[in-house]
Amino acid sequence: MFISYNWLRELTGTKLSPEEIRDRLTNVGLAVDAVADRSDDFIFDVEVPSNRGDCLSHIGVARELAVIERSQVSIPKSEVSNVSGKTSESASVEIRDVDLCPRYAARIVRNVKIGLSPDWLVKKLEAIGQRPINNVADITNYVLHEFGQPLHAFDLAKLTDRKIIVRRAAKGESIKTLDGVERKLEEQMLVIADAKAPVAVAGVMGGEFSEISNLTTDVLIESAYFNPSSVRRTAKLLGLHTEASHRFERGTDPEGVIAAQSRCVALICELAGGTATEDALDVYPKPMQTMSVALRPARVEAITSLQVEVDEMRRILSALGFGLRAEESRALSFDVPSWRHDVSIEEDLVEEVARHTGYDKIETSLPPAHHAGEYHESEERKRALRRALSAHGFGEAINLSFIELANDFELISAFNAATSVVTLTNPIIEESSRMRQTLLLGLLNSVRHNLNHGIREVSVFEMGRIFGSNEKGSLPLERESLALVATGGIQEADRAQPAREVDFYDLKGAIEAAIEAMNLPPLTFEPATVRHLRPGQSAEISANGARVGTMGRLADLIAVEYKFRQPVFVAELDLTTLLEMSPQPVLYAPLPRFPSIVRDVSLLVNRAVTVAELAKAAADQTPAHFMGATFVGTYEGEGIPDNKRSVTLRFEYRADDRTMRDDEVDAIHWPVVEALKKQFNAEVR
Amino acid sequence: MGSSKEEITVAERNPNQEVEAAREAFEREFERFARFTGSGVDISLNDANTEQRALAELRTKHLGKKSAIAGAKKLIGKVAPEERASFGQLVQQTEGSIAQRIDEAEQSLKSLIEAARIERERIDVTIPGRRPRPGHLHPITLMRQRIEDIFVSLGYAVEDDREIETDFYNFDALNIPEGHPARDPQDTFYTTEGFALRSQTSTVQIHAMQRRGAPVRMIAPGRVFRRDTPDPTHNPMFFQVEGLCVDRGITMAHLKGTLAEFVHRLFGPDTKTRFRPSYFPFTEPSAEVDYSCFNCGGPGCRICKWSGWIELGGSGMVHPNVLRAANVDPGEFTGFAFGLGIDRTCARIYQLDDIRLLFENDVRFLEQFR
Ligand SMILES: [Zn+2]
Repeated sequence: MFISYNWLRELTGTKLSPEEIRDRLTNVGLAVDAVADRSDDFIFDVEVPSNRGDCLSHIGVARELAVIERSQVSIPKSEVSNVSGKTSESASVEIRDVDLCPRYAARIVRNVKIGLSPDWLVKKLEAIGQRPINNVADITNYVLHEFGQPLHAFDLAKLTDRKIIVRRAAKGESIKTLDGVERKLEEQMLVIADAKAPVAVAGVMGGEFSEISNLTTDVLIESAYFNPSSVRRTAKLLGLHTEASHRFERGTDPEGVIAAQSRCVALICELAGGTATEDALDVYPKPMQTMSVALRPARVEAITSLQVEVDEMRRILSALGFGLRAEESRALSFDVPSWRHDVSIEEDLVEEVARHTGYDKIETSLPPAHHAGEYHESEERKRALRRALSAHGFGEAINLSFIELANDFELISAFNAATSVVTLTNPIIEESSRMRQTLLLGLLNSVRHNLNHGIREVSVFEMGRIFGSNEKGSLPLERESLALVATGGIQEADRAQPAREVDFYDLKGAIEAAIEAMNLPPLTFEPATVRHLRPGQSAEISANGARVGTMGRLADLIAVEYKFRQPVFVAELDLTTLLEMSPQPVLYAPLPRFPSIVRDVSLLVNRAVTVAELAKAAADQTPAHFMGATFVGTYEGEGIPDNKRSVTLRFEYRADDRTMRDDEVDAIHWPVVEALKKQFNAEVR
Repeated sequence: MGSSKEEITVAERNPNQEVEAAREAFEREFERFARFTGSGVDISLNDANTEQRALAELRTKHLGKKSAIAGAKKLIGKVAPEERASFGQLVQQTEGSIAQRIDEAEQSLKSLIEAARIERERIDVTIPGRRPRPGHLHPITLMRQRIEDIFVSLGYAVEDDREIETDFYNFDALNIPEGHPARDPQDTFYTTEGFALRSQTSTVQIHAMQRRGAPVRMIAPGRVFRRDTPDPTHNPMFFQVEGLCVDRGITMAHLKGTLAEFVHRLFGPDTKTRFRPSYFPFTEPSAEVDYSCFNCGGPGCRICKWSGWIELGGSGMVHPNVLRAANVDPGEFTGFAFGLGIDRTCARIYQLDDIRLLFENDVRFLEQFR
């Protein structure tokens, strides 16, 4: 909002420079964003907090300035010399919805001469960014910026039966507003109507039909107090934001209605001629109650630590318009001024005292410490997880929580098909109206974004919440998920050429490293059919026997949809479940004193036999000194039948008290191998 | 006849001349090797190896069993006794000097070969080291971790709670009354079931006070949602950190002290703070907090929009209605609360001109943070 330095000077006689005013107003809560240096004035751009509607005018700002400077605001006189007749003789006012319009005052000025405003008025309006129209419109606008009370001038001749009816719009009614737009009205909107039809949208904008024109001779000046929420709703529904609605929404002064109107009428008589009615036709069936709030002076220090004399508290509050109602030994009781809708409790008064004493006077100190800090219980493991994945070349992604459809994706087990999608009624990005049930969609979009920008090496992970609704009417499920995608080449730092292409085992290795970093027991990967994964390159992941996720190569159908022309590997895990698992205890195992003897054996087995099955079968053998078998490699191709492959395992043997002899080892080793051969119908190559 | 002619020839030449001839023959053939003992020899590894073999052949030829010197040695016993000693000496001397010359050349060649081999195996130590290309944590994660570290060290517990909330936690308990603009579907996302996507992490204040009671000290970093159309300075989702300290005798001085300490640790010990009166429904009194620009330190620059100050966030003393909503007695306890934007702080520190980049996950963007 623009405030003129000259205008403030007229109201308070301020001695402060524009720069001083900027700083002082900012310090009391009216942040001045900028001071514009005009030829003969300075204009402040003031940011008024949303609860301080009373400061949306020059008098409102001047009041704060007067408290700062210990001066007075001189409210301009509004004496009307030329009066005749009562308003009620020429017009009527009826309020049909007192909740939405507690007060409505009308006053008439006859025989005005519509024309241009005098120079001083044009200059004043232009200085604060207002466009002059004609003298009557300019005067209402001027008083709005002076008092903060929006006013409206009707052409009296255009009001059917000279009636003002304040009511809700009827079904199907519409109005052409001042901006020339035909607007449909809804029944919850408050309008000003004459005997026939709406002539203004209450508190928002007048109608074109009853607008002041060059032919107008008699004007009816409206000054009213409208319900803030009602004006806000209406303005929002109509997509209108006007100087009037801006102020009514924040609450104007119900007791200031007449003063502003008198000022307006006086200026019209002075600048446009005419004769005013003697009084306002003021409909105010239920006057607002004055609220009183108690302030215990000790609370100022208890809340702010500021030590302020009681006299100073009294001075600040009374200068702001709070009337001292009663003074007892420990508490002062103040009447809240009618323009301060934001004050209702003691803490509000404490703030008034504190901001005019100065927040900069508040000392700084740390609260006494008797708490130990603590991270979220999962944070240590999440940090380990993030570190492990980034060490494996994965970048951390964050996607929006809203997505489009996710039909082709198999969700982690906590979100199986029984769970329905959480849908938004009011999405901001078209089509993204669902809360994500999987992180994979976001990550695949990220892959697409990168490919579209010519980056074909993309390895990223994301940790975040996914949502599902399991029971109508109850709060949705929220679970943490971990997802990874990898595509393109395996890259080395500072080298242009990828070492090789990413495959299934790179992604699996990253997941295994992350699980190890979190100190959890190893996961199990088993071949499985997963809807969004390519058959034969997909696995189900379990932890402690419970299914926690899936991983594999993205199914061709989905890859085609995303226009991926290179293999993309994806994984998603139920992070909530992983974080709930107990970490593995770390215990020292004594180091072997004698070396192991190893034997590599290549077994020719059916392709369907997995390495995990072979390793498990080997582990199930328990002869003395057999320490287990470790995977070495697989071979298929030349010399191997199509339905077979060769799997090489390294068998390890060790004794605690000696280095074993070859013949000793052979005596244990070959029976182990024989057992495997028999179990898998394998041959030793 | 032939044999007698040879005998005559042998008989004609005396043994001393024999030895002299052998020496001359050696000198002639050795000449090309003499250069290796000098300095600044320029020879390829290949040639050096060839020369080494040639030198070995030269040794066999001039000192081996079939060499002239070996022949001369056999003559020692045959020359006249009075000349035997001096002849023997001559043979030995000649053999010794040939051997020495060859040894020297061999040694030099060996060092030359060694040097050439080392040169051949020289590597370029400036080639980048071999390591996997590291991944990177998201700038929001990095900033969140820094903020958590600071507040944990100040005695705060890190808390979190739901992202989809009831009206009670998102509005009522935070003293945001029915009809307040923040509740408008224009500003807050709602699910079809009527739940709200939390529009501020202040919701966690209520959960934390309900869980822990008072006194309590906690921060709550997390995602929040507001219906802002994406543009360079807005996203419909962003990250905030809420802070709350409730205890007996907490005042605004503690709020100022805590946030001053925080900015010292985040932006450096010279950073100043400024508190301006403001309005938030959940605090009273309320304050907007600014910190002096970490870039220019006051005079004004592009980052602080020429004001010298950067907005940190909102703060204030917890509104008594909020304490009551969480069953904390405002007569006994006071507290302060604050809320900071993680995205915004990231944007300032890293000079991001478009915060939509934060959620685009462009690899070239993500790689820049560590
Ligand atoms: Zn700066």
